[in-house]
Amino acid sequence: MAKKTIKFEVVTPEKVVLKKQVLQVTVPTEDGEITVLPEHIPLMSILKPGVIEMKLEEGELEVMSVSGGFIEVMRDKIIILADTAERADELDEARIEEARARAEARKKELENVDEVQFANIAVQLEKEMARLKALTRWRRLKK
Amino acid sequence: MTSAKEIKKRIKSISNTKKITKAMEMVAAAKMRRSVEAVLRTRTYANLGWATILNISESKDADKISHPLLEKRKEVKKALIVLIASNRGLCGGFNSAIINKALASVKKHKIPTDFIIIGKRGISIASRFGQNIISEFEKNDSSLIMTDVVAPAKMIINDFLEKKYDKVLMAYTDFISPAKQVPRMRQILPVDIANEDEYLGVVGKSEILKTSKDYIKEKEEKYLSGGFSFMYEPDADEVLDKILPRMIEVQLFQALLESNASEHSARMAAMNKATSAASDLVDELTLYYNKARQAAITAEIAEISAGVAGMKA
Repeated sequence: MAKKTIKFEVVTPEKVVLKKQVLQVTVPTEDGEITVLPEHIPLMSILKPGVIEMKLEEGELEVMSVSGGFIEVMRDKIIILADTAERADELDEARIEEARARAEARKKELENVDEVQFANIAVQLEKEMARLKALTRWRRLKK
Repeated sequence: MTSAKEIKKRIKSISNTKKITKAMEMVAAAKMRRSVEAVLRTRTYANLGWATILNISESKDADKISHPLLEKRKEVKKALIVLIASNRGLCGGFNSAIINKALASVKKHKIPTDFIIIGKRGISIASRFGQNIISEFEKNDSSLIMTDVVAPAKMIINDFLEKKYDKVLMAYTDFISPAKQVPRMRQILPVDIANEDEYLGVVGKSEILKTSKDYIKEKEEKYLSGGFSFMYEPDADEVLDKILPRMIEVQLFQALLESNASEHSARMAAMNKATSAASDLVDELTLYYNKARQAAITAEIAEISAGVAGMKA
C-alpha cells in the first residue's frame, strides 16, 4: 500500500524555501518537538529556533534549520511561516561557526549595555545554533 | 515674430530639461526593478499569512476564540486610515490617486476618521484637505526593511486595543504591472473576511496567486472541509497573541512594498512622458527656428537686391 503523503510548504518573507510531498514532519514548537503525520487535525502552533526534519516520499530524510515562526496544519497541507529557514544542504559550517562566534562575542561585550540590543544578539545566536544543529544532524544522516 | 536667437535659447533650455527627465527616468527604472523584486519575494509569505489569519477568524469555533484583535465591534464610532504615499513628487497622479480614494471612502461612510500618513509628500498634500492627521512616518525610499513598519504597526494595534478606533484601514497602491497600479483600501483591523466593498483582495492580488476572497474560500473548502476548528498549542491566546501582530506587521510591510514599487513605476512613466513631450517641443521649436532664420536671410537678400536695383537706376 502506498503510504499517505501530505503537502508541505515552508515560506519565509524572502522566498518559498520548500514545497514538497512528505510522509511526516518533525518541528520544534514552543512546547517541544512534535511530529505531524497526514490526517492530523487542524493545528496552529508557534515555532522556536531549531531543526525541522521531514521524511520524503521515498523514505529519505531531509533537514532544515528554522529561526522561529508559525506552523499551520490543515487537512491535506502543512504550511510553515518561518522568519528564516535554510535547507541543511545549503548551509556552510565555517560561515555559521564564524557568525556564532561573532554573536557570542558581542553578547559578552554588551551584557550590561542595552536590553534591546542584547535581545537581538541573543536571537541571532539562537538562529546560528539552530543552523549548526541542522547541519550536524544532516551530516549524521548522510553517513 | 520672435527672433531666431530667442528661439534658440528656448530650444537649449528645453533640451536641458529633457536630459534631466531622461536621467530621472533611468533612476526610477533602476529603483523600480529593485522594488518589484522585493515585492514579489514577500508576496507569497504575506498572502499565506493573511489567509491563515482569515481562516482563524472564520473557523467554526471563532466565537469561542476571543482575541481583542479579532473582535468586531457593533458600532464603528471612529476609524483610522493608514495612508501610504510617496516621499517625493514628480510621479504623475500617484499621490493624488491614493488620497482621493481615501477621501472618497471617508465621505461615503461619514464616520469620523483620523489619518496616519507614511511618506513626506503625502503629508503636504493631505493636510490641504483638512483631515485630522494624528501622526506621520517617514519612509525609506529604496531599501525597505521589516523594522520600518514596527512603529506604525505597534501604534495602530495599541490604538485599536484602547478603543480609540473601531476600525483600521489601509490605503495603498497595489502594484499590478509597471504600467498599471491601482489605489486600494483595505481593512486590517479587526480582521474580518466578510467585508463590504472595501475589501478588495489580499495585498498584491494577482492572477497567478489567485489570492482573493475566492481563494480563501477555496482554501477553506479544499483543506479544511466545512466545520473545521483549529487546535492550538500551547493555547489559542498565546498563539494568536504572537501571530496576529506579526501578520499585521507583514501586511503593512507588504502594502509599503507594493506602494513603493507602484511609486517608482509611476515616476518612471511620468518621466518618460515628460521626456517625449520635451522631444516634441524641441522638434517644433527647431522648425520655427529654421523658419525664422530663413525669413531673416530672405529679408536680407531682398534688401540687398533692392539696394542694387536702386544703384542701377
